[in-house]
Formats: sequence, C-alpha cells, structure tokens
Amino acid sequence: MLELRGVSYRYPGYATQVLRDLDLTIADGEIVGLVGANEAGKSTLCLVASGLAPASIGGRLTGSLLIDGEPMTGRAPHELAERVVAGFQDPATQRSGVAATVFEEVALGPMNLGLAVAQTVGRTRAALAALGIEALAERHPSRLSGGQSQLVALASLLVMRPRHMVLDEPAARLDPAGTNLVAGAIRALAATGAGLLIAEHRTDLLDGLCGRIVVLDGGCVVLDGPAGEVFADDRIEGFGVEPPARIRLARALAARGLDPALIVLDADATPVRGVASPDPAAAPSAPA
Amino acid sequence: MRSGSWLRVGLGVWVAASVALAGVLLTGSFAGTVDAATGAYTGVANTVMLILAVALLAGFVVYAAVEWAQTRSLHSISSQFGTRTIVLMPIAIAINIVLGQTVASALKIPIYLDSIGTILVGVLAGPIAGMLTGLLANLIWTFVLAGTPLGSPYAWPFAIVAAEIGLLAGIFGRLGFFRSRPNTPMPQLVAGTAVAVLVLAALAYWGILPAYTKGVTFFGDLSAVSPFFQLVALGIAVMLVLAMVGLVVIVLTRRDLGVAFIVVAGASCGVVSALIAAPIAAVFFGGVTGSGTDFMVAAFQAAGSNLHDAVVQQSLISDPIDKTITYVIVFLLLRTLSRRFLARFPQGEQAVGLVEDQG
Amino acid sequence: MGLVPVTPGPSLVDAGISPADAALLRRLVPAMPTAWHRLNPLTKATIAAGESIGAFVLGGYLGPLLILALVIVPSAVVARVAGRLLRVSILVSLPIAVSVVLVTVFTRAGPTVLFTIGPFVATLEGADFAGQVLVRLLVLATALGLFGMTTEPRALVFDLERRGVSPRLGFAAAATLETIPAMAERAAAIQAAQRARGLDTEGGIRARLRGVLPLVVPVVLSSLTEVEERSLALEVRAFGRPGHRHLLWTIGDAAWERPVRWGIVIAVIGVGVARLAGAWPHIP
Repeated sequence: MLELRGVSYRYPGYATQVLRDLDLTIADGEIVGLVGANEAGKSTLCLVASGLAPASIGGRLTGSLLIDGEPMTGRAPHELAERVVAGFQDPATQRSGVAATVFEEVALGPMNLGLAVAQTVGRTRAALAALGIEALAERHPSRLSGGQSQLVALASLLVMRPRHMVLDEPAARLDPAGTNLVAGAIRALAATGAGLLIAEHRTDLLDGLCGRIVVLDGGCVVLDGPAGEVFADDRIEGFGVEPPARIRLARALAARGLDPALIVLDADATPVRGVASPDPAAAPSAPA
Repeated sequence: MRSGSWLRVGLGVWVAASVALAGVLLTGSFAGTVDAATGAYTGVANTVMLILAVALLAGFVVYAAVEWAQTRSLHSISSQFGTRTIVLMPIAIAINIVLGQTVASALKIPIYLDSIGTILVGVLAGPIAGMLTGLLANLIWTFVLAGTPLGSPYAWPFAIVAAEIGLLAGIFGRLGFFRSRPNTPMPQLVAGTAVAVLVLAALAYWGILPAYTKGVTFFGDLSAVSPFFQLVALGIAVMLVLAMVGLVVIVLTRRDLGVAFIVVAGASCGVVSALIAAPIAAVFFGGVTGSGTDFMVAAFQAAGSNLHDAVVQQSLISDPIDKTITYVIVFLLLRTLSRRFLARFPQGEQAVGLVEDQG
Repeated sequence: MGLVPVTPGPSLVDAGISPADAALLRRLVPAMPTAWHRLNPLTKATIAAGESIGAFVLGGYLGPLLILALVIVPSAVVARVAGRLLRVSILVSLPIAVSVVLVTVFTRAGPTVLFTIGPFVATLEGADFAGQVLVRLLVLATALGLFGMTTEPRALVFDLERRGVSPRLGFAAAATLETIPAMAERAAAIQAAQRARGLDTEGGIRARLRGVLPLVVPVVLSSLTEVEERSLALEVRAFGRPGHRHLLWTIGDAAWERPVRWGIVIAVIGVGVARLAGAWPHIP
C-alpha cells in the first residue's frame, strides 16, 4: 500500500507549494486515475508518489510517503526502485540508449539491481510476456513505433517487480494505435497485482480502466471516489476535467429529452456500441 | 580528512611534482638539439604547460590508484558524479563532436567549437566532472567511435588538452566567472573593466606576444627579430587593443560586468590550451591538424620559425579567439537555462549565481 | 567470477537458464567471424595503442613501416578486413596528409633544395620530415581503424566494466553511440530550418559569425532539456545503485592475453624512455 500523508511539496529554489497538505492512498492491485487541470500538480504528485521528489529532484517535502507502512523519507532513488517506479510520456527519453536489443533494454533494471544472470533473464522474459512483446525481444529499441516503444518502457518498469507504478500521461505522445496498445498494457500491469496511479487528462482512457478517480486542483485533492461517481459528478468540469465521452453523450441525450438509457455504453474503452439493435444477439438495449 | 585521504592526496601531489620535475629536466636536456625525426622543441618554455598538464594527470591517476588499492572503489571521485552528470556527459560529448563539425562545415569559419560540451559539463558539474568529460570525449571519439563514420583516430593525443579545458571551465564556474552581472553600478563597472583590460594586457604582453619576438617582451630590444615577425607581433597587438576597446564598449553599454569576466576567462583558457596542444600537434602530427589554420603554421615556418615555435605561434592566435567565442556562447546559453534545470546540477546554481527562494 | 563465456555451454544451463534463453544470450553477443575478432577487446585496444605510440616512439621510416607490415597488415588479413582497412585509412588520412605535405615540404627550413614553385621552395629535409610524419599517421589510422572495424564498442565497455570500471562511466561511454547520430540529425534539421529563415551561410565573415548562435543554441538547448527526464527514467531503474552487476554477456580473456598486454605496455614505455634518454640507436 502506498500512502501520502499530509504531503506538501515545493520545488528547489521556488517558494510556492505545488502540493498542499495532500492525502492519498493506493492499495495493492488498485488502479487509480489522477485527473485535473494542467497546472494542478499531477506531474508533481507523480514525482512525489514515486519518491523521485525529493530524493532525486530535491526540493522540500513536508509530510510523508509510506509504502507498506514504512516511511520512504531519506531513501535514495535506487532503494525505492523495487517498491515504486515511475513512467513518463516520452518513450524516447525513457530509452537508456545503451542497449542494442529490446531484451537488453528491459534487462537493464535487474542488472542494476545486481541480480544473477538467470534471475535477470527470467524476469525479463516474464515482463516481455506479460505485455505481449516477446516478438520484439531482438529488435533494436530505437526502431520501434511510438506505441511499441512505450510498451518497452513499461516492460522496463514492470521488470523491477514494483509494488506500485506511477504513470504520468503514458499515452500523451502516441497516435491512436499506440494509445490502444498502452491501454491494453496498463490492464496487463494491473493484472500483476501492482497498485497503479495513472495521471491522464484524457478521461476516456481512464474510463473503464480505473476503479477510483482522484481529482486534483491547486495542489489539493478535491474529489476522491469510485470512477463511476466521480465522472458523473457535475463539479469536475469546474476543475478543468472533461468527463469521458459516454458521460458527455448521456448528458447530451438527456438535454434533448432523450432517455440516456436508450444507449448502453460499454465502459470498456470501446465507443458507443449502438442504439436499439434489431439483432438480439448484438448489444442489448434497455427497455424504453 | 581521514588518514587514508591524506595518504592519497599526498602521494598524488608527490607524483605530480616528480613528473613535472622530470619533464622539465628531460626537455631541458634537449635544449639546442633538433630531433629531426620527431620535431624538436628548442627549450623548456615551450613545453612547460604540457609537462604541468601531464604531471597533474599523473598525480590524479596515482590518487585514484591509491584509493582503489585502499578501498577497492573510487568513491571520492564517483560520488561527484550523480545521475544527471552521467547523463549529461554523452550529450556533452555529442555536442562537441556534432557542433564542432557542423559549425565549421556549415558556416566555414575557422573556429572549432569542439569544446562547448566539455565546458558546459565543467561549469554545471564541477572541475573533476569537466576534466573527465574532456578525457573521455577524446578517448571515446577515437576508441569507441572507431568504426563509425564520425570516429577519428587523431583525437586521442589531445585528450589531455580537453581534460584541461574541462578542468579550467569547472574552476572558472565555481569562481563565478560565468555569472551574468546585469545592472552593475557604474563605479564597479569601470573598476572591473579596468582590471579585465589590465589582465588581458598582461596576458598578451608576457604570454602571447613574446612567442613571436623570440621571447623578448614587446617594448624590449627587438633588433634580433626579423621584420616579418615584428609585423606579426604588431598586428596581433593592434588586434588585441581593438578587442579590448570593443570589450570596454560592450561592457559599458550593456552594464553587465559578466562579459568582462567571461572574456578574461576565455582568453586565459585559450592561451593555456594553445601551450598544451602545440607540442602535441608538433610531435604527433608535424604541426598540422588538417584544418584551415595549417596555412598559418606554413607561413610562420617559411618565415624562419622551427616547427615547434610555428605551431605555438599559430595556436596563440587561433585558440584564444576560439575559446573566448566558446566561453561567450556558453555564457549566453547559461542565461537561457531555467533555474529548475540548473538547480539539479552540483554546481549549476553556483555557476550562474542564482538566489534561493524566488518562487 | 561473473563471467558469461562467449559460447555459453553447460555452465549456463546449470545456472538455471533454459536452452532457449541461452540461445538468445548467444545471439546477443556480436558476431566474431575470425580469430582476431575473438580477441578480448582490451587486448585489441592495447595492440592498437601500442602500435600507434610505438610508431612515434621509434621514429624514422623503418620502425613504423615494420609495425605496419609485420603487425598491422597480417592482423588485418587474419581479420579479413585488409582491403577495406587500407581504403578507409587512406580516406581518413587524406586531408591531414595533404596539409602535412604542403606545410612541411615547402616551408620547413633545409639546405637541399629540390625545386621551387613561385615563392615556395621544396627542400629534401622537408620532404623527409613529411614522409616520416605521413608514415606515422598511416600507422595511427590503420591501427585504430583495424580496432574499430573488428570490435563492437559495447563489447569494450562491458569488458571494462567486468574489470572494475564503474557501470555509470561505462554507461556514459556507451550512450554516446546513440546520442551522436541523434544529435547529428537534430543539428541537420535545425540547420535546414534556420536556412529557411534566412540564416546566412555564404555571406561575409560577420554574417557567418552571427549565424553561429542560431545554429548552436537550439541544438544545445533541445539536448539539455532531455537530461532531466532521462535521469529520472534511469533512476527508477536503480541506475545509481552502487555495486557489482552481472552482465548478460562479456568477452572472456584467454590465458595468454594478459601477459601480452603488459608486454606491449612495458615495451613501448621502455623504448620511449630509452629514446628520451638518448640510449636508443637511431633507426632511419
């Protein structure tokens, strides 16, 4: 379990607090979505939750980060590496640049941990298999598509066997094909039992993926609850969060006097399946 | 410091001093003899910089070796190298190699700009990091890039020059020479500019011009010097005076004393680099580098200098110009870097002179 | 130990690695078609350095040419790169060779005049000196070219790490292999963009000097902004962790390679000292 208790943070050299007295808990195996306006502090929260702030970046943190009850203050980044890892937007900068094959790229983490060759190889195989990219094992990491590169980056994080993963807009730089790949990968990551915190402004991506949504505004948590409730809440637009497409569609229908229940929207990240289909074998429609 | 540290530092210093002494004695013994096969040096003065640089490096190597023997690790050195410095180093090396080639070929001007990366690392991460980046840059350029189109088999003898450039940049950075000092009050501006001009004049008078006048200072008895070299020395002196006038004008109009600091630092670095690189170029490469400055070596040799002196005379013209321009470019670059970026480096904020807590 | 031998055998299987994975590890090792290729990278580097420094230390013509003929060329033949090596070495040395000839032949002082072209006097002493420099440069280019053509850079970096060099320094060295081409592309793109905006690459000296900054600053800045995120991405993968790493593959050392390396170093230093002390006989 990852806990942030009363956390306030400011960057080195700056006086303003980017995060203010924030509390957040992520249980093992939980997928939590983090949304908010652009300057709300999502990226900063990702850095704090992964321990990189202040351990790697510096700055001033008050409050504490606890993982499984143990405080993480004062720990070096490499000590945190087996407990919590962080992913970023750009697959190119997450690539180490020293590996000639995807296998060696993913194996970098376990090697850094000082594991024996057999363990490194085993973990790397498992990570590649979990994300379905074993076929890429002997490809050069810089010659992959954006989506594939991001998958390699995620595999490089998964191979650390972390208890928690914090992902900062993993699909931001990707085309739709790549985004789909990443969405599938995130499900695979969750299936391993790690707790996930995913910062995204594209709520459609989080819809159906996350069990819980946290809304951040001005460095504070303003909403924290089950995804269905938070997304349906009217206030989120005031916090700069656009509700997912199905909610917007339902509201648009309701505004025109149509019954939103006419459309059963599968919240599984696939778009509207269809209005009252004559074929009973297709998507069911609710009775009017 | 613990006793182990004293031993390491002591041994390093002792070895450095011994190597320096040995070098001076050895090359001193060559005075007057011209070694036809390797390109001679006619005296100690021409190689003392190189000897000192080699001695410093030897001392450093001994320090590292002793630490290794004591603790089987190089902690005192490697602890200065955080992740950001390590990540910066290949980028700096790439900047050296790529910009060095691009600028020279695209703009066709005879400045090398192949030390921008090294100087950046020195300023941001400290003298030792800068020194190591310089060393590694040239060694990698030759040994790691050997089979690739950008590799150069001729880069590695100059590794020690690159090391010295990085070291000096780090020291100047630590001392605040790269700081912008906007809106300096007039009295300090005038005083600072005056000091800068004096330092540059002294550098020129005792460091640069005597190379063309057979060691005699500019206002001394020049009767033994050929008219060609008297003219060259005069031309250089005029150029330097114009440069100093230009410096004064720029500093006074922009009211930024930092410009004076950076020009002094760049010129000093240029002179030192020229004196270290010249013997290497003379011995290893017959004084040429395959670049446009070789015609200057030819001219000086045709006018009567021996090989070694000719290379020194060429270097003392091109290197101070090149390094001053490079230092100014780095100075301008540093101003555009965000404080958030600079704060992450060991020496970043110190080098640029930022004040804490300006949220 | 921690050595993964070049041809993984039963020892790997015992260590708990499946045959499929052992085959993969074997495929990660760079191809080494000849006996020369299979030499340890540090040995090859020492040989290249020894040949280069040896040529300078020996001086004259005979020494470097003997090194070239008796050591470099046979090694290149064994490695089956002789033709390509000579071609590439001559290409690489050409600019500097032309400079050497022009500068040295025509301007080096000497009593014996060969011929004159206008104001330029070619002397025998100049030609002699130029010849010696050229021979040395050729040795330098071929020795290092041979090393470059037969050694995978990562193999050298891993070998150094196996011997105790910090993995972080090894990272810095290995990363340049990808950073340089990436930056070259970026520089070319920025150069094209600036030219489209009117950057003067042909005008007077002042115009060209003013063109330096618009070329240099964007390239440097765009590279520097990457440093932060790259560092963070590495640190979550335990990059800064002190201690020994078990590498997936390394190239081993044959028993005789260590004495040979030390022999080369001692020989070169010995001849160098003897030369400086005047004890070494002059070889033409």
